[in-house]
Amino acid sequence: MSQVPLPITTLFAPDYPIMTDRLRLRPFSRGDVDAVYSYRSRPDVSEFLFDQPMSHEECAEAVRIRAGQLAFSGEGDKILLAVERQDDGRLIGEVSLIWRSVADRQAELGYILHPDAHGHGYATEAAAALLAFGFDVVGLHRVYARCDAKNLASAKVMQRLGMREEAHFREHAQFKGRWDEEFVYAILESEWRQSR
Amino acid sequence: MGMTDLTIKTGRLVLRPFEKADLDEVLSYYSLPDVQRYLDWKARDRTEAKSAFEAMRKQTRLSRPGDSLTLAVVRKADGKVVGHVSLRYMDATAAQAEIRFAVGPAFRRKGYGSEAVGAVISHGFAEHKFHRVFARTAGGNEASAQLLKGLGMRLEAHYREHALFQGEWDEELHFAILDREWQRGAKVSEISRHKVA
Repeated sequence: MSQVPLPITTLFAPDYPIMTDRLRLRPFSRGDVDAVYSYRSRPDVSEFLFDQPMSHEECAEAVRIRAGQLAFSGEGDKILLAVERQDDGRLIGEVSLIWRSVADRQAELGYILHPDAHGHGYATEAAAALLAFGFDVVGLHRVYARCDAKNLASAKVMQRLGMREEAHFREHAQFKGRWDEEFVYAILESEWRQSR
Repeated sequence: MGMTDLTIKTGRLVLRPFEKADLDEVLSYYSLPDVQRYLDWKARDRTEAKSAFEAMRKQTRLSRPGDSLTLAVVRKADGKVVGHVSLRYMDATAAQAEIRFAVGPAFRRKGYGSEAVGAVISHGFAEHKFHRVFARTAGGNEASAQLLKGLGMRLEAHYREHALFQGEWDEELHFAILDREWQRGAKVSEISRHKVA
């Protein structure tokens, strides 16, 4: 893979691609639209996301934006990577880290996987790699993640990553026309180091 | 003008908007560090505390998100201002409000805070039809946590080191209660309004 060009304002970026035992994490590129559409168009995927199921056109636009989400230059920046399986090269989902606070060294972790690829620990494996980047390279103090309280698979991933349940909000907001219930999980740098 | 200001009466307390004459009593507790944690206006000195007081005096309406209603908590027995309670309208679609409070050190451990906060929560559910009222406290503020738990609020969040506060890692608790969970009527003996000039 050729060197990935980074914005000149970049403060932190992973060495691409990030290789884990079974996965390859890399920035999105134009050819990924069909693969993204294969899971982001599904109602069972969007059920717990802020987005509705996406059209092919919306996926093309999303991929175009994501191609530039590969480095941290400042607060609010998002690194959003394609998760590829090494053995067959298939793009099975996405994993993200958002730099929420520079001064407080906080970030938010996220992941979405194609339902076909659930149940193999891929989300945990991909998210762990971004956690390592966040703590080792960015020097974060705390990383948190959120999910709908009904999304038990997602909560399981957070638990496997060693994250603690910090919040269980009930009916704190309206979400797609109904009352929202949400979990927040978090892990501190010190906890992450102990768990290694 | 026909403007009405809210007065809430409980067993031992009267809750009403701040009046000019309350200034000195408010200054006696407003600048204390543990009181400062969740207030809208920083008050490191008397001048800042004074402008904070002036701003709180104007918080008498909850018409739209962002509005706050701040009421002085006055002891019936001697007319002393023991603290204040503030209710902020946070979100219209989800009908959410945040409650905040401060009790002067001389008046703590007597249940005044609980009595006043309970009355304002009742007011929020009954008059403003809020769906959920929540409160935040610093992790180390055991008295506030006990007060909120005592009112039946559930601990919904315990954030650890989620932000720096004055150079130290902060810990924050969130308590919440839904309209249907609140025991209506038990906490307020009387709600009345009076005309003001």
